[in-house]
Amino acid sequence: MNDAGDAPAARPADGPSQNNPSALAGAIAEVLRGGAVAALATLVESPHGVGAKMLVRTDGSRSGSLGDDALDESVAARAVVFLSARDEASTHRVGEFAPALGGWSAARVLFERVEPEPHVVVCGAGHVGAALARLARSLGYRVTLIDDRADFVTRGRFPDAGLALVAAADGWARAVRETVGAGRGVSVAVVTRGHNEDEECLRAVLEARPDYVGMIGSRRRTNIVLERLRESGVGEEFLRAVRAPVGLDIGAVTPEEVALSILAEIVAQRRGGSCAPLSSWRRL
Amino acid sequence: MSTIPQLELYRMIDEARSRGERVVVATVAHTRGSTPQRRGAKMLFFADGRTAGTVGGGCIEAEVWAEARETLRTGRAALHRFSLTADEASEEGMVCGGTMEIFIDVWDGKAVTGDR
Repeated sequence: MNDAGDAPAARPADGPSQNNPSALAGAIAEVLRGGAVAALATLVESPHGVGAKMLVRTDGSRSGSLGDDALDESVAARAVVFLSARDEASTHRVGEFAPALGGWSAARVLFERVEPEPHVVVCGAGHVGAALARLARSLGYRVTLIDDRADFVTRGRFPDAGLALVAAADGWARAVRETVGAGRGVSVAVVTRGHNEDEECLRAVLEARPDYVGMIGSRRRTNIVLERLRESGVGEEFLRAVRAPVGLDIGAVTPEEVALSILAEIVAQRRGGSCAPLSSWRRL
Repeated sequence: MSTIPQLELYRMIDEARSRGERVVVATVAHTRGSTPQRRGAKMLFFADGRTAGTVGGGCIEAEVWAEARETLRTGRAALHRFSLTADEASEEGMVCGGTMEIFIDVWDGKAVTGDR
């Protein structure tokens, strides 16, 4: 059942600064805190011992080493390919991607995506916003809840310390812009109390272009907001990308059900889901 | 136990290491067929017996646990294969029926490459 062999430990340690796991853990934390993405490559099967690690950032820069310069080069190139796919982790034989490295062809490298968990930004702490923030937290996502009414975003209402609360004292635009940042890995659900507020929030994310932007409301009301944005010169591409009305059609009625419908759409966008029932393939 | 955010996971590894403790990290490296966890899922094992995260439920947990304990002792990282064939799975009333390769790794103060 478990046939892991004894890993031969033949290779002398390289420079300690290059392969210091502390330094690598620090480099990983830096990537995560900066909202960036990287690939962690680990030698998991090898005639020369296992466990060596190398972090490869999207710009190609690296920390650590697998213990061989030529191998590092090839693995760094493969890491870029890995990052362009959606996989969270995959394992590849060196011979698959670097046939020229004869001595390493049987070795296997585990590639893991290093990426901060998705950040769900909820604009509006009413019934739907509150339910959405709590549900997104239960999925392990980073969540920030924003409202311009300070008494709606209190620890009394949301005791979960992992849920970030923002009282937009200077108006929505600034709070939303600062929270969304560069927009990568960010999903924004606009569920404020009114359509003027919704419009302010949408304008605030125009530049950042988050991975997902949705706005709550009826077809008619959301169209009015989008039309106003169009008239003021907002580009078609952005308007088309806005999910309005927000969410999947699951017949949601209660605030909690609406929150589920929104979060299901956010998950599908992130993971590339079709949103069709899994049973739709059946013939019987 | 549920999925741990990555930043939290590496913070826990770093904290244990800064206390001079060894941390064993089990990662699902490869899966085939129906398995209880996704590739990349991680479970941490600390010297004081605490754990965090999961690499799958009842199917293989006891075996991973045993290997991780052994790794905490020896400090030797290795790739382990666990098969959850349909027969074995149904005998034990388990829902999965694939194979999983789990890399059981060691994060301690020593250099990562080479002999340990």
